[in-house]
Amino acid sequence: MNTIKNYLESMFANMPNTPEVLKAKNELWQMMEDKYTELINDGKTENEAVGTVISEFGNLEDLADILGLRGAFEQKAQTADNTPRRNITRDEAFEYIKDRTTNGLMVGVGVFLCITSVICPIILGTMSRHGGAIGVLGMAAMVAVAVVLFSLSGTKTRKWNFIGKMPCSLDYGTATEVSAEREKYRTSHAVRLTIGILLCALCWLPAAVMEEFIFGLPFIGDVITPTILFVTVGIGVFLIILTNKIMNSYDSLLGTNDRATVSGSYGMENEPVYINKTVDTIMSVYWPTITCIYLSYSFLTFNWFSTWIIWPIAGIIHHVLKKNLTK
Amino acid sequence: MIEISSDVIRGYNDTMILFILGDAPSYGYEISKKIKQLSKEKYLIKETTLYSAFTRMEKNGFIESFVSEDAEGNGKKRTYYRITEQGKQYYADKCEEWKLTKDVVENFIRDNGIY
Repeated sequence: MNTIKNYLESMFANMPNTPEVLKAKNELWQMMEDKYTELINDGKTENEAVGTVISEFGNLEDLADILGLRGAFEQKAQTADNTPRRNITRDEAFEYIKDRTTNGLMVGVGVFLCITSVICPIILGTMSRHGGAIGVLGMAAMVAVAVVLFSLSGTKTRKWNFIGKMPCSLDYGTATEVSAEREKYRTSHAVRLTIGILLCALCWLPAAVMEEFIFGLPFIGDVITPTILFVTVGIGVFLIILTNKIMNSYDSLLGTNDRATVSGSYGMENEPVYINKTVDTIMSVYWPTITCIYLSYSFLTFNWFSTWIIWPIAGIIHHVLKKNLTK
Repeated sequence: MIEISSDVIRGYNDTMILFILGDAPSYGYEISKKIKQLSKEKYLIKETTLYSAFTRMEKNGFIESFVSEDAEGNGKKRTYYRITEQGKQYYADKCEEWKLTKDVVENFIRDNGIY
């Protein structure tokens, strides 16, 4: 059955992504599926059934006129050789995701080191008279490690630079698999992103609480609280960078297929398509933002019994925005 | 064995489909199966040919499509086609045309093709 589906998908892969074409693909799939089911029920083997269905399928050129694609077919014949698409294999796709994840880890740790490097002079500065100078050295060392990490991370993904620069394509099977992986990662992504943003937004909270309760101890105020603050921000930024890099690797893989063709929608059938890039970005951070507002506001006011109202309201607004801003 | 020439039969795919839809509304695979049966397995209509015929005839108003659940009751949604009044008229015309065509061509056919 999968063979037939793959066959049909590859036949339609380079057709324009129009309602007529999608309808034709669906109807043809219905007929092929019916025929396949009956052949199997008649006692044919899987191979025989697949062979029969594919050999009796016909020719897509039969559909050119009814789909208004006569021009497209002739054009395709002319340009097909001029712009070959680089095919990304299944192994390459998953290696790409792995490399981008490693890259995200390295950049994330690098940025974390940059942010937290200021802790060195803070801690060592209060310890002794010359501590300040050693602290600055420590800070420089941390930044240096970060720079090494940045440049290493670049070499890790250099070989993948062609993705996004030249036309590439993903076959139906791989795209479906990548899409399933992306779907699985989605929850982790949302959680990591929310925690990341939250840590950045509320980084001052532990410091403020400490100031309030353990007020008076100079060591706490001068050393511990700033340390906690920078580490909190560092972890937050690390999480945001890492999870965005991972999510981005799925998206750029799935985005390699030409959006104007049927294959452009592989793995993205359930994704809303927003009217422009800005709206798309805003909508992608919609729920994390709401979560942040909710938690920040609730923590500040301790009005937990009334702040939950933000959820139903946000839900309705999200629905309205999605309805109005999708293509 | 001589195979049927697709150029010749093309003009009569519509006639076959309308003949079947004259009995009852039907869907893609069922129609192709009936064509195979009624032609005593001598003609096999390709899926792409069938679908382009559906679309063309629907555009011309000869048939109408509607989505309905499978009659076998397995809950599967299918696109069914039914014939319209216009389609019946068109079918009658096509039958006349075929009779004429057959009469004309018949005059030029020798028994067993032997001079």
